[in-house]
Amino acid sequence: MAPAVARRLSASTAWSGRVHSVFDRTVNALGSDGRLLTLQGPGLLSAPFAIALEGPPPGEIEPGASVERIGGRLDVGGIAVDWRRAQPIDLSIGTGSDLAGLAAALHRVPPSLGAPALCSARALEARRAVRDGIARDDAERFAVGALALIGLGEGLTPAGDDCLVGILAVLRSARPHFLTRHPGLAGTIAGAAQVGTTIVAREFLRHALDGDFSEALVALVRASSCVAARDAAERLTRMGATSGADTLTGTRLALDALRPR
Amino acid sequence: MIVTLVRPSFYQDSVVLLALARELRSLPGVTEAAALMATPANRDLLAQSGLGTDEVLSAGPNDLVVAIRAERDDAERARTRAEELLAARRQPRSQGAVHSPRTIEVARRRAPDANVALISVPGSWAAAEARRALELGLHVMLFSDNVAIEDEVRLKRLASSRGLLMMGPDCGTAYLSGVPLGFANVVPRGRVGMVAASGTGLQQVAALLTARGEGLSHAIGVGGRDMGDAVAGLMTLAALDALATDRGTEVVAVIGKPPAPRVRAMIEDRLRALDKPSVMALLGHGVSTGQRDGVTTVSTLEDASLAVIAALGGERWAPRPFSIDPADVRRRVEAARRGDGSQAVAMRGLYSGGTLAHEALSILEPLLGPVASNLVAGAPSRHRVVDLGADEYTAGHAHPMIDPSARLSAIRGAGENPDVGVLLLDVVLGRGAAADPAGDLAPALERARAAALARGSELAIVASVIGTAGDPQGMAAQVSRLEGAGAWLLPSNAQAARAAACLAGGQAVLNRLLATVPA
Repeated sequence: MAPAVARRLSASTAWSGRVHSVFDRTVNALGSDGRLLTLQGPGLLSAPFAIALEGPPPGEIEPGASVERIGGRLDVGGIAVDWRRAQPIDLSIGTGSDLAGLAAALHRVPPSLGAPALCSARALEARRAVRDGIARDDAERFAVGALALIGLGEGLTPAGDDCLVGILAVLRSARPHFLTRHPGLAGTIAGAAQVGTTIVAREFLRHALDGDFSEALVALVRASSCVAARDAAERLTRMGATSGADTLTGTRLALDALRPR
Repeated sequence: MIVTLVRPSFYQDSVVLLALARELRSLPGVTEAAALMATPANRDLLAQSGLGTDEVLSAGPNDLVVAIRAERDDAERARTRAEELLAARRQPRSQGAVHSPRTIEVARRRAPDANVALISVPGSWAAAEARRALELGLHVMLFSDNVAIEDEVRLKRLASSRGLLMMGPDCGTAYLSGVPLGFANVVPRGRVGMVAASGTGLQQVAALLTARGEGLSHAIGVGGRDMGDAVAGLMTLAALDALATDRGTEVVAVIGKPPAPRVRAMIEDRLRALDKPSVMALLGHGVSTGQRDGVTTVSTLEDASLAVIAALGGERWAPRPFSIDPADVRRRVEAARRGDGSQAVAMRGLYSGGTLAHEALSILEPLLGPVASNLVAGAPSRHRVVDLGADEYTAGHAHPMIDPSARLSAIRGAGENPDVGVLLLDVVLGRGAAADPAGDLAPALERARAAALARGSELAIVASVIGTAGDPQGMAAQVSRLEGAGAWLLPSNAQAARAAACLAGGQAVLNRLLATVPA
């Protein structure tokens, strides 16, 4: 399970909410605190707010069903999920790596087909602004691009948000002070996400601003060899229809912006 | 005309939304279709595309909007189709997807009949995982290294208290009831039970037994430190007890470096108590070989295999330096040295198997004098044996049995060094090893020999292939590739080391070795 979820559940004995959305392998629960918790099937944690179950989520769970913490268990629409012995998976990205090796490795990975909206005029302008902002250490320019990406494009997590998460993962590792040195930048992004995108995308962005990401993205940024980077990139691009590919687009964009010129 | 659907708080994953838009666009008469969450950015996009109806523009970020541009009748048909597609919201669960369990507990629940856990995780987590497995009643093969000796002792005591085997840490090879684990050659089931504190040592003996038509009942790895003072042979003794009661095991062999004296005494007591012949292969200097109280002690891996074969046939084992024709050995050595038997040249042993390197060192030093090595601190010497699987060579790289880069670099260095006249190599085949180790090495060997020839000297290459005819790499093809690169292939690592000593040490060494060949 994601450590952030463990912290949230451990912090409150009265956590409750409702089932927000139900998919083939995923159930999202929206807590009364406004935060999401994802129950997913086995495999890599698809979100930094997920718990992986031993099998697919039960098919009878419906949107709107109540979710409640009862002792060490979560009652999700009448189905008990015991999270107490779940193994925490570190989903944070450490700081202080220049990621030059990752950039070189990704040069050898062919680009994946992402969401069409990321190639719209609006998205291309936003991507340019983000790239310029990082390259010139210009927070205002970065913010212009980041805010234009929020909520933009196809998907339950719109492609622009996925792209921004990929950008934030690289910044977290290679330029950790970019956000902290520019007071208000993180708050501006979080505020824009609050009203500008879906609940699911907003949750991803909030965690990304805190330095937590999906397991596939963490593996990519932590990859210690070309082979590991290629494998991690392939795993990432298998996420969603284009979500993984859009995240990889953001990763490449930020790595390119950091390249010495 | 433009028709739109808005589904408040309606969530579909990206795959469904993209497929929906794609299908709508393919319908007759439809010129544009979009299925998007109605975020402000997407509402702007739709408005710019002329799809921004009032209904769309008043939707919220968590609402799904479907917007279609088409001729009147086609538009209505497209709307109907969109509603049908959205009604089929839940996709059937994908069948057949297999996800690896993330914890030993889950793996155990999925495979309740399993009785062995193979653990290969970074050393700092390995002890905790091994403890979990033991507590679940599983035997453990711990492939991981870098486990503290204190943890090893605790784990092995826990295993002993539960009647379980704790193989490792740093256990690279085992065969349990014919099932190969870790790096393993393809060997048949047979009558020989082995307990090994060495992975490549076990592989060499198993491969030599297979070449002589024998096979393994079980081969239990115990980890390189088991026979030391700290662990006191806990698992070696437990494994011997297991083999003692195994009816399929007719001869037992123990393989390792010379144990701590008190541990050796315990192992010998246990071997003497067996109701079966046994062989102890102790790889090191000054090991006293011979047969006593039903236990045959040998000092090389090849001799272990020969002693086992002899025991199976009820015969006595006698050591010999070469299995090939001594005249052929003399001819090959003299040809390689161009008839000059007096001048010594430097030898480089470049090994992927740690035990094989150790065995070579214990054979070479009595013949050549001091040999430098990263295996043991010793006097400087012109001769050197390197274990390329040691930590200093594998940090950030895979083991040399998988990744040849460290050895290729060392071969290049040897080829450029005018003092080096002999290269000694091991090539390990089997499951888990590189797909084509000979193919990886051969071009570098050819270049090294060419570099030596260009400066008017010779670089002799001596090698042994640790493998069987059934190995996926193909034993014959591997031997052929190395011979094509000019290597002299010997049937075992021990013979290869002796051949290298003859090449490096000249006539004196050759004569000394051949003088011991039985008439």
